[in-house]
Amino acid sequence: MDEMDFAGPDAIGPQVTIRQANDRHVDFVLSNCDLAFANSIRRIIIAEVPTVAIDLVEIETNSSVIPDEFLSHRLGLIPLDSSQVDDKLVYYRDCTCDAYCEQCSVTLTLYAKCTGETNVTIYARDLAVAEGAPCGTPVINDPDGHGSIICKLRKGQELKLRCIAKKGIAKEHAKWSPVSAVAFEYDPHNKLRHIDYWYEEDAASEWPRSSNADWEEPLAEGEPFNYDAVPSRFYIDVESVGQIPPQEILEQGIKYLQEKLAAIIQGLTGADANVDGFSGGARSPPGAHGANGNAGGRDDSWGDQGYTTPFQSGGRTTYDAWNGGTTPYGGGGGSSW
Amino acid sequence: MSQDTSMQGSTPYTVEEVEHVSLDDPNVSITIQSDPYSMSFQIENEDHTLGNALRYIIMRNPEVEFCGYSIPHPSEAKMNIRIQTYGAQLCPCKVTAIEALKRGLVDLVDLCDIVMHKFKNEMGRFGKHEPVQED
Repeated sequence: MDEMDFAGPDAIGPQVTIRQANDRHVDFVLSNCDLAFANSIRRIIIAEVPTVAIDLVEIETNSSVIPDEFLSHRLGLIPLDSSQVDDKLVYYRDCTCDAYCEQCSVTLTLYAKCTGETNVTIYARDLAVAEGAPCGTPVINDPDGHGSIICKLRKGQELKLRCIAKKGIAKEHAKWSPVSAVAFEYDPHNKLRHIDYWYEEDAASEWPRSSNADWEEPLAEGEPFNYDAVPSRFYIDVESVGQIPPQEILEQGIKYLQEKLAAIIQGLTGADANVDGFSGGARSPPGAHGANGNAGGRDDSWGDQGYTTPFQSGGRTTYDAWNGGTTPYGGGGGSSW
Repeated sequence: MSQDTSMQGSTPYTVEEVEHVSLDDPNVSITIQSDPYSMSFQIENEDHTLGNALRYIIMRNPEVEFCGYSIPHPSEAKMNIRIQTYGAQLCPCKVTAIEALKRGLVDLVDLCDIVMHKFKNEMGRFGKHEPVQED
């Protein structure tokens, strides 16, 4: 049997095509990949990439019309710069301090009073980050450089408070989510019939066409429904709030997924440390590949990174079954266990 | 499958050893096991993020007969994963459920590595002809 034929398209491995990228979002196509994995990436980006957000507010004076808890909630939702936060802060629950300290938090202070006749608006830019803080500067994206509105003060009203920003993940509270949205679509022509469109007379003409529809061939005239087909192309648009650049969000997401896996491997390997040379701990991709000109060409430098994958044909692998060498049914029995 | 005859010799784990494995990590435990080739694991503090991808990748292993996962209750941060391998039925390799689980975890780490690598490469390529800018 021809090895390539057996290995099928998955031998090529997952492919990434970036369609658009700037400092707010990155829009890419993940192809040759399975739905479960693509969805894991989506889920981890939304809920498990840590950022910094205000978690504790000590209010000294609040004579504004907004009650304390309302104000605290608003403060919590203000995006704060959290790039590379893992290197800068620890989780406050892991910290040795009693309540909070510089290792696990960033302090922001706000002192504002309206003295004039006209009302003043307090913006996120008015939050003063403690000197020397490694992160936690409010994210400001508007052209005027104001940031989010916190509240408005009438003459004589005063606001004096201290905010403690901590590192956290969106599983605990959505304010820690690094993204405002992750667009996720597959099969824009609904060839797989995962969606049952409601319609009056004709679904195709009544429903708007997806912008991703141009990236795939529609079902040809008379083409029968392929009930074996599975989704393999995913159109993902990661839309950052501004705490972390979108590329970094994706990279961090994959990193955290690997860390989760590594933790379980570690747990399982405790008793038996000899799993195919795997030593536990997340293996981050080798530093050698940065913005070099590998130009989407596949895998020239990848094969010799010192470890192997089931997703690549040709590379040295210890697990033959994946690459079509052997099957449990056929002879060979070429497992490396 | 008759347990004792098919498992002799090269089986890496006896039932007693398997129980020992589970003691090492409070987050992973073996909940059901009839023999080393069919086991259920419970992983704490994990959800569909890990469960579905892991299920898929374990199922891709040709030695694995069945793999499924469930989250028994949404308020409990626990994920159950069931693995049944062919064991010695069809192949002399005798891959146990634990080995299949480990293999799946390692494979998923590798898959992550590849996607990360592809993304970084593509980002580098993309950055060259279209500098980062506002919409």
